[in-house]
Amino acid sequence: MTEPILELLHISKRFDMTQALDDVSLAIYPGEIHALVGENGAGKSTLIKIATGVHQPDTGEIRVQGRPVVIHNSQEAQALGIAAIYQEPMIFPDLNVAENIFISHRSRGPFVRWNQMYKDAEEILAKLGVVMDVRQSAQGLTVAQQQTVEIARAISLDVRVLIMDEPTSALSLHEVQQLFKLVRSLRDRGIAVLFIGHRLEEVFEIADRITVLRDGKLISSRPRSEVTVEQVIRDMVGREVEEFFAKSSVQHGEVVLSVRGLTKQNVFYDVNFDLRRGEVLGFAGLVGSHRTDVALALFGIEPADAGEITIDGKSVRIRSPQQAMELGIAYVTEDRRKYGLVMPMPICANITLPTLPQFLNGLGLIQRQKEIEVAEQFRQRLNIMTPSVLNTVERLSGGNQQKVLLCKWLNVQPKVLILDEPTRGIDVGAKVEVHHMINDLAAQGIGIILISSDLPEVLAMSDRILVMHEGRQMGIYTREEATQEKIMAAAMGHPEAILERQA
Amino acid sequence: MKFITRILRPEQVRELVTLFLIVIIVLGFGTLLTDYYTGRTFVRVSTSIAIIAVVAMAQTLVAITRNIDLSLGAIVGFCAFFLGVQLSYHHEIGPVPAALIAIAIGTAMGMINGLIIAYGRVPAIITTIGTMAIYRTAIVLYSAPEGGIVSAHRLPMWARQFASWSIFKVGDLDFRVMVGIAIAVVILIQLMLTYLPYGRRLYAIGSNPEAARIAGFPAQRIVFLAYLIGGALAGLGGYLFLLQYGNLMVLAGEGLEFDAVAAAVVGGVNIFGGTGTAIGAFLGATLIGTLDYSLRRWPAISEFWRNAILGLLILLAVATDSAIMARLRLIWARAAAARTTEMAEAKARSMPQA
Repeated sequence: MTEPILELLHISKRFDMTQALDDVSLAIYPGEIHALVGENGAGKSTLIKIATGVHQPDTGEIRVQGRPVVIHNSQEAQALGIAAIYQEPMIFPDLNVAENIFISHRSRGPFVRWNQMYKDAEEILAKLGVVMDVRQSAQGLTVAQQQTVEIARAISLDVRVLIMDEPTSALSLHEVQQLFKLVRSLRDRGIAVLFIGHRLEEVFEIADRITVLRDGKLISSRPRSEVTVEQVIRDMVGREVEEFFAKSSVQHGEVVLSVRGLTKQNVFYDVNFDLRRGEVLGFAGLVGSHRTDVALALFGIEPADAGEITIDGKSVRIRSPQQAMELGIAYVTEDRRKYGLVMPMPICANITLPTLPQFLNGLGLIQRQKEIEVAEQFRQRLNIMTPSVLNTVERLSGGNQQKVLLCKWLNVQPKVLILDEPTRGIDVGAKVEVHHMINDLAAQGIGIILISSDLPEVLAMSDRILVMHEGRQMGIYTREEATQEKIMAAAMGHPEAILERQA
Repeated sequence: MKFITRILRPEQVRELVTLFLIVIIVLGFGTLLTDYYTGRTFVRVSTSIAIIAVVAMAQTLVAITRNIDLSLGAIVGFCAFFLGVQLSYHHEIGPVPAALIAIAIGTAMGMINGLIIAYGRVPAIITTIGTMAIYRTAIVLYSAPEGGIVSAHRLPMWARQFASWSIFKVGDLDFRVMVGIAIAVVILIQLMLTYLPYGRRLYAIGSNPEAARIAGFPAQRIVFLAYLIGGALAGLGGYLFLLQYGNLMVLAGEGLEFDAVAAAVVGGVNIFGGTGTAIGAFLGATLIGTLDYSLRRWPAISEFWRNAILGLLILLAVATDSAIMARLRLIWARAAAARTTEMAEAKARSMPQA
């Protein structure tokens, strides 16, 4: 066997509380398409970012052609022949195709020779077997064309390792085939391709070798010919459901929220489910499954185009968050910092933000004392660790911030509570408390939609689980029939999963 | 249509529209006002544009990178003042060394902006509001021993006459040196933007800063240099300002930064980065300068209304940019897609069927 072009040896990387990568070793060979798969948060992105110099590993070594190297930034990675193509094409929309290809070249002389550049660009594209007008502004290109331009840019820079991070997520079936043709031709020219995939069929179609990451650890790395889809799925999930997610059984009431044929063009299609009082409905799916977009539609932030929403038997149209709140829907966002909390404001002010009119006196002024009382009740009820509710939110830990966010929406006294990744980035102890809270809230008769990338969590906390894949509902599984393998297979859009369920 | 999309880019169409508007204005006022088509009009308009055009070049460079420089007027003022005071005492300084002094000081001030914005990562609007105030104060402090003014009669003879120096005359049309300098600057900047890798990277940064960060070229240094060059241009602007007006007060150059923004925006420079040309900004300055002068000559329009009309023009330019330019780009993209299909078909035909 030839010498590996890029080796990552015993790489570990830690971000605050989470061990993103734990002693991962990977060798990438020229002329090989190496697929990297794993759940959300398995460490795929971190690994790429380390290979391209965006992050530095805490421990471990990177070798390029056997030589140990330190990569400080993407510029140095490029100089070593490592380039990455991301989900979002890194294109310059105001420049034309040829310029986009040559923008980071250094050795093209002191002046831009436009005609020469057009000729060279045409040559490179022709070599890739791509037809494109090189004088065209990049603005009008499709995502697939933009990726092609990026690949051409990488080729023109003499790349030897091309990393592709879920490049197919925005492509049509036909475009995926075009891309794969291109990727294979790169491989045949001796370029090493590291392909991060989220569709198993695609991974099995294109890859020569499949590596599975889970929880920051390398689980398996085998030639495609030696693995089956089932094996890969098992490797991806493989975690035991931890005991402390104790689910208390709650009597379910009548249907509180009913969704039929909910559709938003190009985002999600034909979502159907019923949610009963006291029920926890889990939403499972990988990045790009558009679970969160369904939640945003229900909460009126990004209203759906079509479909029917019924609350307590009444058909409703939700056009704004205000309206959703009046209808009794609350949404606890996944991005606490961006959408959830006002960091420099005190805890009590954050909690009362959506319900501020209730805290005004006759003159329309805020009654601070009342605010503090309510916040104080929540502090004791949810055990928020802070000396005073007058402290600012930014000084709290992640778990406590999450609790404040929950309080904010519980204060609305919702009928339907949508929790989007409620335990992301918080430590285990706080996680357990959040789970207890979910149980409590369900027991109070609130219908809960739990969106979570943490598969064991969804399995443990939900009464039923709705699985989405690229905007389509793959099925709803009851607590009894759901297994990690089934959910993961459905989330990867693997057709067998559906067959199995129908059988 | 197909032909137009092949030979012109949407930006060039935009520039032709600006040029067309200038012609309309000139023709319109020519019928409205008596004695409009005179050498006097040409000299007045062309010299009033010269300073704004030079400062607009500076604004264009930073605007392309998604930044702004609100301290340009203060830099112009300080350079003009500094040079004015120096010339008052040192009559031996000639025109060229004087220009170099002003440019050097402008460069230093632009460098301070660039360091704070590019390397300190402070938003440009905040930084340059701050430095604008500081540079203004510097003028006040520097000019205090002089009583806060520069007087034309204390300047050397060449400086008093410079504004009326002529490159050539065609009949009644007097083409002044100041105007020649401004046009030379516009051409140089346009050449830089088109033919130097540095110029193209300015567009790249403004077009997609995130992509610029990972594309492997020194984005920070490029923005820093844009401010540096901008400062140098403002220094040159200060030189022209002193020679144009001779008598200065501490408010010299105030508002020029906004005139420069207006010229750039009217000329099609996108204030959110990525697009715009030096020629466009120059045409914008010409349009505003011509309109401003013509409205001044028109007795029916009061000073108040003149400002309102100019303001309206700027709003109109921004509105057309977001609506019409998007349309144009769409048309161009469709034309390109059609060409691509054509090319693909031609290629398929030329290949023997396997």
